[in-house]
Amino acid sequence: MPRLPTSLLRRAYALDPYLPALLGPCRDLCAAQNELRWLREHVDGVAEKRRARGGTLARAALLRELVGKRARGMPLQYILGTEWFGEVEIRCRKGVLIPRQDTAASISHLVRFLRDAPNLPSELRVLDLCTGTGCIPLLFAHDFYDASSRPDLRILGVDVSEKALELAAHNLERTRKAQASVAKGNISFLQADILLNPFADQTEGPPSLKTALNLKRMPQFWDILISNPPYISPKEYWKTTTRSVRGFEPKLALVPPPDAAGTDTEQGDAFYRPLLTIAQDVEAKIVLLEIADLDQALRVGRRVREMDIYDGIEIWCDQPDAHPNTAAEDPASDSEFPIFGTGNARTVLCHRGQGTQWLQRTPSPHAPTSTPADTTEDCAHISHDGLEPSFDKTLLHAGDGRPFHERTLKSRKEPVDWEHWTGKPANAAAPWYTKEPRLGRR
Amino acid sequence: MPLPRILALPPLLRPPTTTSALRNHILPSHASRPFHITPRPLANLPPRRPLFESEFTETFLRGSGPGGQKINKTSCAVQLKHLPTGIVVKCQETRSRAQNRKLARRLLQDRIEEMELGESARTVVKRRRESERKRSRGKKARRKYRKLAEGEKGEDEEGVEEGGGSDGEALGEATRGDGASKVG
Ligand SMILES: C[S@@+](CC[C@H](N)C(=O)[O-])C[C@H]1O[C@@H](n2cnc3c(N)ncnc32)[C@H](O)[C@@H]1O
Repeated sequence: MPRLPTSLLRRAYALDPYLPALLGPCRDLCAAQNELRWLREHVDGVAEKRRARGGTLARAALLRELVGKRARGMPLQYILGTEWFGEVEIRCRKGVLIPRQDTAASISHLVRFLRDAPNLPSELRVLDLCTGTGCIPLLFAHDFYDASSRPDLRILGVDVSEKALELAAHNLERTRKAQASVAKGNISFLQADILLNPFADQTEGPPSLKTALNLKRMPQFWDILISNPPYISPKEYWKTTTRSVRGFEPKLALVPPPDAAGTDTEQGDAFYRPLLTIAQDVEAKIVLLEIADLDQALRVGRRVREMDIYDGIEIWCDQPDAHPNTAAEDPASDSEFPIFGTGNARTVLCHRGQGTQWLQRTPSPHAPTSTPADTTEDCAHISHDGLEPSFDKTLLHAGDGRPFHERTLKSRKEPVDWEHWTGKPANAAAPWYTKEPRLGRR
Repeated sequence: MPLPRILALPPLLRPPTTTSALRNHILPSHASRPFHITPRPLANLPPRRPLFESEFTETFLRGSGPGGQKINKTSCAVQLKHLPTGIVVKCQETRSRAQNRKLARRLLQDRIEEMELGESARTVVKRRRESERKRSRGKKARRKYRKLAEGEKGEDEEGVEEGGGSDGEALGEATRGDGASKVG
């Protein structure tokens, strides 16, 4: 990191003696001034609360302490305890990743489409895998119910981390109190390890998603699957993340677990295949996956295309609703997938069947020729002699509000062959992400 | 001065939807100008000028480089550029991007109004009233106030320009409308 020029430090000091310390993490004067202002407001707020309870607070001492923490790189959001995610204020705690504004932009953009969507089901079901603070379910519900008379919403946030789940539950309670719109949605959280083979014998640790859904009598089918999974490879982690991210945010949330056989890039991509398998398994009609950059977006997009079950694949940027200013800035012109918005590539969106309708898209020329319900019949690369998924049909019936016959019919037609996907016998105890499956070789 | 500027706008860039709305706002209040202003009652400020999303471009100022999980940014400055006039405003008042977007729009409305309406713009009217209220206090207080105002002039001007997001209501001096023409 380049050293800050003395002249800048001097100028900062002249404005406020606390500013030079904040220049370290902020790098520019304007940002440092903002942060100092927010820290002061925070200290005032704490003092106010303390006074209401009859106590006193040494403001100067507290401000000094907090500026010190920030100067040592602690993220401002951990110091202040909150971050804004769209219009929802999310509580942040050490050990759980701080929500990013870019993620919020994608979610709000998706919900904007859904609010105008034709023929939504009477209950729209949204699965958010790797939910962290629970920010995605909460923002989804907030934005979705912003207008009146929407269908019911059922959102399930899943995470492997206990700390994350505790915080998500806290955020749910807090947001429900503050925002009536969120209270309308049926939001819950569930612990599961989404990298775990659902058919492996498992004795300890968090269960696989399918097992967890079964145990909690949750539906097996979901309309929309969203995930912002860990997606940074070990090399990128050291090279491209900021000091404050590396030093203070949980690595579990950022870097997928190591894979003995895989390359650095493969490790960074490790969540996408399981996620796409789950998306197919739960019959998601819209899938929104956050990615690190355009390269990862293309790798994920190609993988989705190989699955041959989606009617459209798009890449959304940091500001998905912005129109590129000039043609020269528009990377979409020669890309293999349509790219929307401005900024870095941020999410890959796939849709099929009703999902395509909801987004009011037309199926792309690459799309499979058949309808999603019978797609897999045409897919040469899905071998049918694998293990049938063992859905508990009674639970399915009890937990699923929609017609039973339609569901069973579809699930029979779309067998998810775990062995094929994972290259592992279904009962293997080892995590099923450890081997790259042989997908796409026909 | 403000009126000719409006008329000088390249007609193609001016969104047709706003033309009539602008006229409705500008012409009646313009008739009572220039140096002859009867202050309206406080509650009755001129209505805000409608601002259409198609009239401006919006950018979020973020450094280049990676985003997403790799960086955890705290500031989220929003910048708006009004296409017909070229006015640029920037807001990073709060930690919420959504809030900054709203504040930036209001700020832009104010700036455009100040440019178009001059003395009768909301912000100018507000500022003027504020000072008139102060002036109506006794002679002694008035003298004192003038002294203060003289001393603070420099600061005031800076405040108007830099105070992204704030209405600048408490700022400025009675007779000066030229804060209005300062645009980023
Ligand atoms: C990048 S964070 C995203 C958090 C949140 N959705 C957001 O956008 O701020 C990834 C999350 O995935 C969780 N996670 C990591 N490995 C997981 C696994 N095997 N199964 C389920 N969740 C996992 C982490 O605990 C972390 O909360």
